[in-house]
Amino acid sequence: MAPANTDRPDPGLLAALGAIVGPKWVRSHLTERRPFEADGLPTHASVPMAVVLPSSREQVIAVLKLLAERNVPWVARGAGTGLSGGALAGGNAVLIPLTRMNRILSIDPVRQRAVIEPGVVNARLSDAAAPFGLQYAPDPSSQTACTIGGNVAENAGGPHCLKYGTTTNHVVALEAVLPDGSLARLGSPHGEPWGPDLVGLFVGSEGMFGIALEITVRLVPLPTTIRTLLADFATVRDATEAVGSIVAAGIVPAALEMMDQACIAAVEASIYAAGYPTDAAAVLLVELDGATASVEAEAALVHELLRAHRARGVRSAETATDRARLWQGRKKAFGAMGRVAPDLVVQDAVVPRSSLPSILETIGTIGRKYRLTVCNVFHAGDGNLHPNICYDRRDSALADRVARASAEIMEACVAAGGSITGEHGVGADKIDYMPMIFDSTSLAMMCDVRRVFDPANRANPNKVIPIHACREWREPQ
Amino acid sequence: MTGTRGGFEALDPCVHCGFCLPACPTYLATGDENDSPRGRIHLIRALERGEIQPTDRALVEHLDACLGCRGCEPVCPSGVGYGRGLEAARVRLAAAGRLPLEVRAILAVFARAWLLRPALLLARWFRATGFPDRLSGHSPIQFLLGMLASTTAGPSGSTPKPAPATRGRVALFRGCVMDGLFGHVHEATRRTLAANGYEIVEVDGQTCCGALHDHAGDRAGAAALAEANLRAFAGRADFLVVNSAGCGALLKDLPHLIPSDAARALAAKVRDVTELLAAAGPRPGAPLAERVCYDAPCHLQHAQGIHREPLQVLNAIPDLEIALLPGFDRCCGSAGLYGVLHPELSRAILGEKVAAIAAATPQPSLVLTGNPGCLMQIGAGLRAAELPIGVAHPVELLDRSYRAAGYYH
Repeated sequence: MAPANTDRPDPGLLAALGAIVGPKWVRSHLTERRPFEADGLPTHASVPMAVVLPSSREQVIAVLKLLAERNVPWVARGAGTGLSGGALAGGNAVLIPLTRMNRILSIDPVRQRAVIEPGVVNARLSDAAAPFGLQYAPDPSSQTACTIGGNVAENAGGPHCLKYGTTTNHVVALEAVLPDGSLARLGSPHGEPWGPDLVGLFVGSEGMFGIALEITVRLVPLPTTIRTLLADFATVRDATEAVGSIVAAGIVPAALEMMDQACIAAVEASIYAAGYPTDAAAVLLVELDGATASVEAEAALVHELLRAHRARGVRSAETATDRARLWQGRKKAFGAMGRVAPDLVVQDAVVPRSSLPSILETIGTIGRKYRLTVCNVFHAGDGNLHPNICYDRRDSALADRVARASAEIMEACVAAGGSITGEHGVGADKIDYMPMIFDSTSLAMMCDVRRVFDPANRANPNKVIPIHACREWREPQ
Repeated sequence: MTGTRGGFEALDPCVHCGFCLPACPTYLATGDENDSPRGRIHLIRALERGEIQPTDRALVEHLDACLGCRGCEPVCPSGVGYGRGLEAARVRLAAAGRLPLEVRAILAVFARAWLLRPALLLARWFRATGFPDRLSGHSPIQFLLGMLASTTAGPSGSTPKPAPATRGRVALFRGCVMDGLFGHVHEATRRTLAANGYEIVEVDGQTCCGALHDHAGDRAGAAALAEANLRAFAGRADFLVVNSAGCGALLKDLPHLIPSDAARALAAKVRDVTELLAAAGPRPGAPLAERVCYDAPCHLQHAQGIHREPLQVLNAIPDLEIALLPGFDRCCGSAGLYGVLHPELSRAILGEKVAAIAAATPQPSLVLTGNPGCLMQIGAGLRAAELPIGVAHPVELLDRSYRAAGYYH
């Protein structure tokens, strides 16, 4: 638990914020600020000085202008399901949740575009697009709760991003308000914009560049045929080698996910029990979609490859309900970890696919060394690992072992040629790892880009880019 | 009492994933983490640790704003016992004297039959004048009149033809509001159960179930009522049948108020009326060519885990077209005393449901739901929106179908 932030903004600021959004949408009482002290990764916590909940683009613009005039830092927040401590506001920063801006402004089934406000929940957009035979493809596991504004900030991924690409591949235009309160229109809803790809720059900027007010996304047709296979293995190595063989065979599955035994046990104990075999060392969930003929041909080949890598059993989801059940188990796995222990560290790292067999053995060794329960559930197809370490934070010696094991896992991933985050972002959690993968020149460039959008460094301060990497910090030294 | 920490331990599995957010009617209405299950768990944990005082104004406001619908429980991957944790917090708030005067007054009336009976008698008399029906509408007072008007009875007064009672002896839990305003649902319950081979036993000495008291944190008040019901019903029948989802949920959970073997034995016999009917088939009735929609009470689906049985009951009516409209499984905003204490939020939550019913094509003639609070809330909402759609308990429709089939004298 973070030390409570008992700072209160000056009453003048609160009154001015209240005049913009209405007094009942400004939270300044310490009790009401506490629930905002953490996102989906409660190992990081800091209580914001105030919380303001705007409901329209005009209100957001007015709030940012006011905060600029008064030189107050701020942090934007979606549903708070992020896993890098990215949406935390400490010190004298104001937190701006955008959950009330949740309107789907338009769906154009002919051009296959939707225009939405940032607080629209990811799954709700796909639900709204389904009657037109369309879907919004990026599907983070938290899609029933997370907002697309948050997805834009984090460049969120998800199981089906293996084939369809991450958020950045689906956002075509943005209207954003910059930290000084000015408006910027980035990208083009209809075609490729000229000049530098500013949408690409904004997506994944983790709330450092501004707030997206209107997001224009691409919708893609729902596939005509979907085949979901569940394979179980006696060893983790067999499962990971099967992953490599599927991709090496030239198949791009819609999704290719893996869960190990500890994770299977937690899911099968939950209401999302999917019928995964609990005695398996690992299961793979392989989904193929597209035209019927190609899906059938690929499914036959995948079946063969899974068997060749000693899969004990391979079954295919027979009905849409069965398929949904297999996916619910996977997508709710992270939330089911509370069954193992009250606290949880979710890691997010990427390794080259070919390193999967060895890195999982290394993670297993690190877990045993620190006597920890590590549950692995991850996007195997793109080498994006999510080791979950379950523990009880009330045991401080244990919490210390978790921190050391976490760092060691990250170092091993980087040593294997990987990266420190696949999709959760850097936020507060990974900031210290940044120098492990970026040299000082690259980090200084990031600082420079940040300064273009936010010269005063008020938008999501102290996140993502280590301050000591910035030129103005280094030069006086 | 539950556990060593009075129920707070039920919140321990929460890992803050946020998967509960979209299931929470108040979070959907306000978008504020304080009004979400995860946010409230955060507050309740701080209350348990002593970091927030039970008299804290903001704490009381946000915990009071919880409907207690428990829609967050079935979506929680870690199986957090939210309802238990909330009750633990409310017990602490009540002990600190934070129960508002109007709540204490209402609970006092419900705990005393000699006060409640005349009050409900007066309500019935007023209902019979027809004023509530004619004056119901949108304003808060008109909405209350609409709630009363929504309790109006359908045709009654027949008795089932004798049939062999082979399925066991059933004691009817009459309750308070159900007994006072929904006597017609009790009659329909008796007739449809008898037509399905159950023998009905009337039990004296029974009283209000105490759910309102329990949810408000008045555990002593709830336990006293539970004791009275335990004395009245223990050993009297094979089943204790309940046609109010809220009362059924409390009676099935009796051991948390009275941790005794007798309470466990009685709780194991409690059944919703749709469970008993579904177990019997139920016997098909005469066709009713109508389009209706079903709305699932929170305390039936979340607290008791009953999903299919009400639909099985309705499926015994040939030609009946049953729609499940968007949001049929979401709280209507009634939630015991909630509608009275938080009219603004309650009406906002109800608004979504009424809008979904209004948008349905073709329009249903009836909304069916198995809980008095929901019947009154949805009924008043439909009246406020000037929609020509009634409300009824599912057994009332089965009863109509049985009457048409000639099962009754």
